[in-house]
Order: sequence, then C-alpha cells, then structure tokens
Amino acid sequence: MLLVRDSMVRKVITVSPETTAAEALKLCREKGIRHLPVLEGGRIVGLISDRDLRLATPALGDPNRAAALEKIRIGDEMSREITTADPEDPIEHAAMAMHERKIGCLPVVEGDELVGIVTASDVMAALVTLVGAHEPGSRLQVEFPNEPGSLAEVAGIIRDQGVNIVSVLSVPSEDDGGSRSVAVIRIATMNPSGVVRSLQEAGFPVLWPPSAPDGSGQGL
Amino acid sequence: MSGRSVFVHDLGLEAYGFGGEHPFNPLRVRMTIELCEALGLMEGREFTSPEPATDEDLTTVHSLSYVRSVQKAGRDEAPLSELLEYGLGTSDNPIFPEMHEACAHVVGGVIGACRMVMGGEAKHALCVSGGLHHALRSKASGFCVYNDVGAAIARLKEEHPGIKVAYVDTDAHHGDGVQWMFYDDPDVLTFSIHESGRYLFPGTGGVEEKGRNGGVGYSVNVPLQPFTQDPSFIGCFEETLPEALRRFGPDLIISQNGCDAHALDPLTHLSATTRIYEHVPRRIHELAHELCGGRWVAVGGGGYDIWRVVPRAWAALWAALSHQELPETMPGAWVAKWGEHSPVALPDLTRDVAANYPPIGRAAQIEERNRRTVAELKSKVLPLIG
Repeated sequence: MLLVRDSMVRKVITVSPETTAAEALKLCREKGIRHLPVLEGGRIVGLISDRDLRLATPALGDPNRAAALEKIRIGDEMSREITTADPEDPIEHAAMAMHERKIGCLPVVEGDELVGIVTASDVMAALVTLVGAHEPGSRLQVEFPNEPGSLAEVAGIIRDQGVNIVSVLSVPSEDDGGSRSVAVIRIATMNPSGVVRSLQEAGFPVLWPPSAPDGSGQGL
Repeated sequence: MSGRSVFVHDLGLEAYGFGGEHPFNPLRVRMTIELCEALGLMEGREFTSPEPATDEDLTTVHSLSYVRSVQKAGRDEAPLSELLEYGLGTSDNPIFPEMHEACAHVVGGVIGACRMVMGGEAKHALCVSGGLHHALRSKASGFCVYNDVGAAIARLKEEHPGIKVAYVDTDAHHGDGVQWMFYDDPDVLTFSIHESGRYLFPGTGGVEEKGRNGGVGYSVNVPLQPFTQDPSFIGCFEETLPEALRRFGPDLIISQNGCDAHALDPLTHLSATTRIYEHVPRRIHELAHELCGGRWVAVGGGGYDIWRVVPRAWAALWAALSHQELPETMPGAWVAKWGEHSPVALPDLTRDVAANYPPIGRAAQIEERNRRTVAELKSKVLPLIG
C-alpha cells in the first residue's frame, strides 16, 4: 500500500510517435484518461497529455481543426523529458515528484520496460488509505514534545486503554519553531473519552475532541 | 392519524449490554420501560414479546462464519486472536456470556415489529432495543454485533417481493452498517442525519456517499457540524427528509431513533435537546400516514446519557408513536427510585427547558455550514431519487 507498485495502474494505454492527434484525443475521451506514454520499439520515449494536445491543435469550432488533428503526429508534440518512477519507490516520493514538477502522472518503469502508470488520483486514493479514513474510527488530535519517545508514550497510553490505532500522521508544529509536534490519530473506538482523559492526565494537550463548544477553536 | 401501536419488549432484550463501565448500558432500556409505565403511557396496553432471530435470519446480512464466531465467543470457545478479526473482544465490543442469544433476540424483536406492521396487526411498532446500525457483514463495530434493521429489511424483501423500505436514522453517528448493506439497492432508501464524520466515529456519512450502481441516489447523508443546535438540526431535517421520502414513495418507514445528538451526551458533539426527540417522530409519523398507510417501525440506537436523556427521549418517541400526549412532569416515584442510582441530578420535567440551552457563540457559522451541506444534497443527490 505504501509503494508505487501497490497504487499504480498496470494496464497502460500507450501510443506511438506516429499516432495522430485525432487518434490520441479519441483514446483519452473513450478511456477517460488524461495521459498517454509514447512507446517506440517497446521503450518509453515520451509522454503526451490531453492538455498538450489541446494546446497544439486549433480550437473547437475552428474550420481547420479536423485536418490539423489528422496531420499532427504525437512524436512532434510529446514531452521527451519525462520523470518516471520505480515500482519500489515509496508512494510519498512519487507524490513529491509530481508536486515539485507540477505534473499529473509518472510512468512506472522497470529497467527499460513500462510496467505501469501512477496518477495524482492514485496518490489521493493511497492517502485515503494511509490516513485510515476507510475504517470505522474516531479522530484524535494530540500535541506532544518533538523529541524521541514522545509519540511512543502517546501510543502507550492508547494501548493501556485497550484501543487499537488505525492510523497515525505526525508533523512538527509550525507555530513554535518545531519544539512541539501534532499527531492526527485514528483510533478504532466509538468511545474515545477514556483515551482523551488519560492523555490529558499525562500532560498531552488534546486538540480534538474539545471539552467545550466555544473553546474548541479548531477552525471548524 | 390513528391505528394500533405495539411496544415490542421483554426481559430477554435487556440482556444486550457489555457490562462494567461500558457506555452501552441496558439499564437505559429498563429505565425507559418504567418511565413509560409511570407516565401512564402503557395504560390498557401490553408489551409484546418477540421470537429470537434464527441463524437464517442473521445470514441474510451476516456471513455464517461471523455468526458462528459470535456463538463461540459467547460460550468462551474461541481464542481472542480469532475473534479480534471479527471486531469481537475489543474495548468497543467486549465478549459477554451468551452474547449470541442476547444479540439474536434484539434482531428478532425488530423482525417481529416489521412483520406485525406489514401483516396489518399493527400500524406502528416500537422496539427500543433495536437500532444497532454499525454492525457490518462480518464485523462487530461501535457497540453493535448484529445489524437488526439490516436483517429485518432483508427478510421483508424476501417476504414481500418489490417492497420499498425507507430507513431514517437520526442517531448522532452515521448509520454506516445499514447504508453499506443496501448501497446498491434502489428499493431501500437509507437516510442518515448525523454529526460529520470528519472527527466522530465511524468517519463516514459524507454527502458524496450517495449509493452505487443501480442504487445511486438511494443513500442520503446529512453530515452536521459539531455543536449543531435544535434550530439548525430541525431545519436541515425538514429541508431534506420529506422531499427524499416523497420522491421515493416507501411501503414502510423504519426509523432509528438513537438519542446521542443531545447536548448532554458524552460521546458526541452535537448540542440538541429533547425538542428534536418530539419533532422527529412526529414528522415521521405524519409522513408514514401521508405516504405508506401509516406503516412505521421505530427502533432505538445510541444514547449514552442514560440517566437524563435516554428514558425521556424514548418515552417521547413512544408517546408520538402511540398517539398519546406526553405529560409535562416526570413521575415522582420514578425520579426517586432512579435518583438513588444516578450520579447526576435527574430532571423533573419531561422536556428540556430552552433557557438552559442558549445559542452558542458560533451558532451562525455552524448554521451557515449546515445550510451549504443541505444545498449540495438538494442539488446533487435528492434529484436522483425516484
């Protein structure tokens, strides 16, 4: 679940440099996809998106559009500088690569062979799984010192209440120079009150659930 | 509005509970029964005792391996490691002796209530022990072992081919178990109004959960902001439920009347009062007469302030369902008896006093967010029904 190979789509729809813009756009429409890797002799040589295609062709309603679509070859319009991922890459690396380069997909290659494609929406789906949003649970937001053992202590308190943890996300808080961290913890219980009480008693501020309606201030 | 009303209850139903400090305490049912009696709401009426559900009833919606595991758990015949994968033996759903029998009895109560209404023996029926809406096909979840309403709907579909059932869930938690069981089914409309799952268990119940395949449009979710109070709760309910039900045209309405949206409830962050526990059943009652010849089955659900909230909420439910006026004053003998056990002072009126629940500081913001949720639901989901 946490690697590219778990989130990628394996059946990749591809085109060749000789494919026309008309054919490629038809593929995008029919398959409901936005990115097409371009293969030549079994090797990936480029990538074309429906956006590239629209930019390269006359607008809808332009009388020259049909002829132009038939004439344009993908090989002339595709991006040749492509960023790829490895099936064994952690999913967060793929997310970071897409985010930094502002791109919507990464072809996944093993050696020379194209084995899959991972898109922004695949990464979103992985995120949903990662935060445990698909499993019944309650959401806790807890603050603790950003130092070794603190999160373990929080987890130990939850364990002592006999409650299972569905997922944990933890980041240093930006407010106070990183001396504190905030964790979002999903716990598999309908009754978080025992956990909340024990965390507070141990000195860990619980940011959610709040104790009073107007004291929450959690940007709800 | 008229018709015979039946209260399905017997002592066997009070065996469903997890003991100790667990928030799901069957004492709340005992207190409800005694409050109905003390208020005079049972005069000339009797409780109807149900048959327990059979394994065949349960396997309409649960896997046989799960049912077998619950049976073994209650006889102490299975190791904990084996039970945990079925959600049994956790802090939410601890094992208790003869748990299968207790849980199957609840399912039997709700199936019995539905059969009485569909068979014409009664117009309306209530079983406050039912409403265990989180139970999943092969997993106990959120204090719920067997999904009583799910099994009852599945049985009704077998016994009355083509029947259309509307399920209306006003518990503060999303009615996930029932929703997933009929997520593909256009003959079962599930409607759930609840505190947003962004923080609260089980985490689901967004507007975008609207059903799948042929069932698209037939799962309706109204997620409310934490700390929603009566006016916004009732406004959102009125804006969505009547329209959904009129578009759907049910043959039977089953309402889940969990009462944990109350401001005093320790497990949720909604801030309602007893006002909604009179308004909701009254409206469902009217809609049942308008749309399906009065056929209405009501069940209980969550409710964890067992002293001040649950007995009053469910006595109000029984009064609405059985066409009786709810007296204003709590019976002195009942208050005296339960006051001895209660850690908090018991109210002396059956209805909350509005002045004790003033609007909170962020009420306007909360209402505005809820209004947007309802607008989205009305434009994107409700038009898909019918």
